[in-house]
Amino acid sequence: MREEAVLSLFPEESRGRWREAAKQAEQLQEIRIRSGMPLTVLIDSREFFVNTQGKIVDRPEEAAKPEPEELENMLRHLCRYSIYAFADEIRQGFLTVQGGHRIGLAGQVILDGEGRIKNMKYIRYLNIRIAHQVRGAADALMPYLFEEGRVMSTLLVSPPGGGKTTMLRDLIRQVSEGTRYGPGVNVSVVDERSEIAGSYLGVAQNDVGIRTDVLDSCPKVEGMMLLIRSMAPKVLAVDELGSLADVQALQMAGGCGCKLLATIHGGSLEEIRQKDYMRYVMEQGLFERYVMLDRRLGASGIAGIYDKEGKPCIKR
Amino acid sequence: MYKAVGFFCILAGCAGWGSSLAGREKERVRHLRTLFYMLGQMKSEIAYGKHTLPEICLLLAELNDTCYSECFCRIYKRTAGEDGIEFPKVWEEELGSCLEPLPLREDERRTVTELAKNLSFREERGQAGRIGQAEAFLEGRYRKAEETCANRSKMIRSVSILTGLLLAILLL
Repeated sequence: MREEAVLSLFPEESRGRWREAAKQAEQLQEIRIRSGMPLTVLIDSREFFVNTQGKIVDRPEEAAKPEPEELENMLRHLCRYSIYAFADEIRQGFLTVQGGHRIGLAGQVILDGEGRIKNMKYIRYLNIRIAHQVRGAADALMPYLFEEGRVMSTLLVSPPGGGKTTMLRDLIRQVSEGTRYGPGVNVSVVDERSEIAGSYLGVAQNDVGIRTDVLDSCPKVEGMMLLIRSMAPKVLAVDELGSLADVQALQMAGGCGCKLLATIHGGSLEEIRQKDYMRYVMEQGLFERYVMLDRRLGASGIAGIYDKEGKPCIKR
Repeated sequence: MYKAVGFFCILAGCAGWGSSLAGREKERVRHLRTLFYMLGQMKSEIAYGKHTLPEICLLLAELNDTCYSECFCRIYKRTAGEDGIEFPKVWEEELGSCLEPLPLREDERRTVTELAKNLSFREERGQAGRIGQAEAFLEGRYRKAEETCANRSKMIRSVSILTGLLLAILLL
């Protein structure tokens, strides 16, 4: 990733402070900006701080502490001065910007009459997660995901920040373009949070393969059925299963003959089995492969691959 | 002979001057119509398309004639690219220089150039509503200008010809 792409996340007046961090764009994973608190960056999984001159320092006491106005400016800039256009995302606590970077937000929530989140004000905490496209991230997985030239339904599992989306993106690309394990097939992606393809003005900014169709910013449940009807995919991919409705829609898609690629938060197979909405689909064998990811294990981050009964194909 | 030529020259000059004034009035009507149509487009892109302001500028650049098209294209490039310049600042600069030579009144110009300063609503209805206010102002001006344009043009032409006659008589 280019230095300019990181700098473009910041308004003109505060770019000087981020130049040093942006030089390490390839290793930069996260930027945390909290009102009145030290500016924090995560580089190569190590925490550092940024001082007022933009130097990267080890001690939080030396770090710059942003004012609330800086966060407001930053938010306006990230939303391209069109906060209304991101109202749905802000309501969910995050927004995705050009390049697929995800900005987590926290502040004071505004509720509607029925107690649902209507909007957020006084946004004082930003967590910028820098998206990296790692071509070849799924190379080590590929031999285990194909059977007689056809990709198997696969669920990628890891805790937040474990590299699921990066892995899924490369998996989609390779399945779409074809590998020595199987020919390329039509893949449809429901990119609810614009993180997989990082679409901008409807065009995927990340390489997701030549046979991939992307439905951007669409809720998973509606998106999956829409794509099955309209794009006739052989493989359907979604990120972050998080509810019974998501899983039910996946089951329907699986019942239509589509193979599925999906991700879910979790620390172990046992942990996801304990989620009410996952137990049934795991018993039914909707997924033929479960891939456990752990970023601490190095480049591929594969901690284990399991078959539909939960027996390990490989385990580290 | 020279007097006759002079007479016609003065008359033609004054008629031309009048014609140019009437033409400016017609131009004003045309620009007011374009501006209020554009604000209507903006409003619907916000309310229904939920496009960001720079994206809307790109759409406006594709939909409108040269002078506005180039201006909106520049706004899009400066705000959607990697420059990080504030949208309201760029909007004011670019539209300010685009509208400067046009035959619009100062308050009409300001309604458009200062619009972006007031576009920080958190939801689309508020944002579209604010644009709707500017649109309504310009539409009112357009309707009024269109109504009076024909009469004013006739009046300007008549006054210019009469002025020409008077000037010619006085001078010759």
